[in-house]
Amino acid sequence: MTCDFAHQQLAAYLAHELPAAAHAALEAHVASCPACQAELLATQRVWHALGRLPVPEPSARLRPEFYAMLAAFEAAPAPTHSGAGLWQWLRAFPLPRPALRLAYSLSLLGLGMGAGYWLHTPPRPTEADQPQVAALAAQVGQLRQVLLLTLLENSSATERLRAVSYTKELPTPTTRVVSALLSTLNQDANVNVRLATLEALAPLAHDPAVRLGLVHALPHQTSPLVQVALADLMAQLQERRSVPPLRALLQRADLDATVKNKLEQTIQFISTGRSTAPSLPSPHAPAPPSPPKSADTIAS
Amino acid sequence: MLQVKAGDVHRMGLLFERYHRPLFRFLYHMLGRADVSEDLVQTVFYRMLKYRHTYTGDGEFRTWMYHLARNVLADEVRKNRHAAHHTDVADLADYLESGRVADADLEQAQEVAQLHRALACLSADNREVLLLSRFQELKYAEIARLLQTTEGAIKVRVHRALGELKTAYLRLAR
Repeated sequence: MTCDFAHQQLAAYLAHELPAAAHAALEAHVASCPACQAELLATQRVWHALGRLPVPEPSARLRPEFYAMLAAFEAAPAPTHSGAGLWQWLRAFPLPRPALRLAYSLSLLGLGMGAGYWLHTPPRPTEADQPQVAALAAQVGQLRQVLLLTLLENSSATERLRAVSYTKELPTPTTRVVSALLSTLNQDANVNVRLATLEALAPLAHDPAVRLGLVHALPHQTSPLVQVALADLMAQLQERRSVPPLRALLQRADLDATVKNKLEQTIQFISTGRSTAPSLPSPHAPAPPSPPKSADTIAS
Repeated sequence: MLQVKAGDVHRMGLLFERYHRPLFRFLYHMLGRADVSEDLVQTVFYRMLKYRHTYTGDGEFRTWMYHLARNVLADEVRKNRHAAHHTDVADLADYLESGRVADADLEQAQEVAQLHRALACLSADNREVLLLSRFQELKYAEIARLLQTTEGAIKVRVHRALGELKTAYLRLAR
């Protein structure tokens, strides 16, 4: 046994941690080696001093405090089946780690797919929902109508244009809306708004009231653009009632030459059912027979 | 402890009577403050009650107790940053050396003071294994399980700690 090794064993020797054979071997070495003997004595001195080290006793308050705590704990016992306990139990479950991971991954994948499916399937409306949906749609329609009527009063032309565009979204415009639109067509200060209103009213012309309103709107028009567009619409509708107001328009002194030409063509078309050759060449109204086409060109 | 775990919480009183002193000593030597150590003893016993379902029953109860004690100790050190380690011990040493004790006890008192100081010089890790081995009389195998290392590593660590303590002690004794 070397002295170095003996030194390393001293602590274990003093703590009685050495096996019997090693214990005896160390004692034998120390007996024959004065250096190791001195080392053992020095170490032993510290070891024994450590054992004699006085330690203060805990104060008298510790015991009563502990029993008070114990009593409090007994009065309100913590649940043993806590989340931590369950987790411990799960961890203790004899399951191979890779299998656990695989199961975890698969469950996550399944969860993801389920969530995706659920999110992408539109909810099927049940029969009980149908009246509710209809009621809601009706409410939305009413709201739009109110909004449209309000916006038509707006001072900004852009807002009024927006209002007119709402007409397309209304399923069946009420008489109030129609009369509001017709008055816009007759009175609005902005040409663009009037044109847009005419465009919005055109699809509703199958309604006799709208048709009549349009005919009555003819004398109010001062803008050449609107006059031409309205005349085109009349031609398209083959509206004979529009001939007198059109003729009245022709009598106006301030009438644009192109418009005059156009109105004459229209009157001719409505009266005879076919158009005549233009008396004057017009860039806005090209060769007949195509009143609807020319209407498109001007209105758009 | 198994009886406590099974619901017989009252049995904890027995464990307290048997173990609170060694536990207090361990904590006292680790921290050097009696008042804090007492509080920590209380905390350790509270945790024993609270986490009694984690006691598996294999291995010694003491190992489990010191395991909890080390956690409580670590929490305390982290929380309060005991920079002034062993303040009480230093005070005690000063008191003993101040000559106000009887002459007959003086030599032994000085020895104790030196040893306290030498112990305070050790790193917390080294002090811990030495305390567990010497005061708490835990076997190397138990300490190894407690610190989650091998018995051989504990043997080496105790050897080093004792060597360090001896050097510090002899230096102070000179």
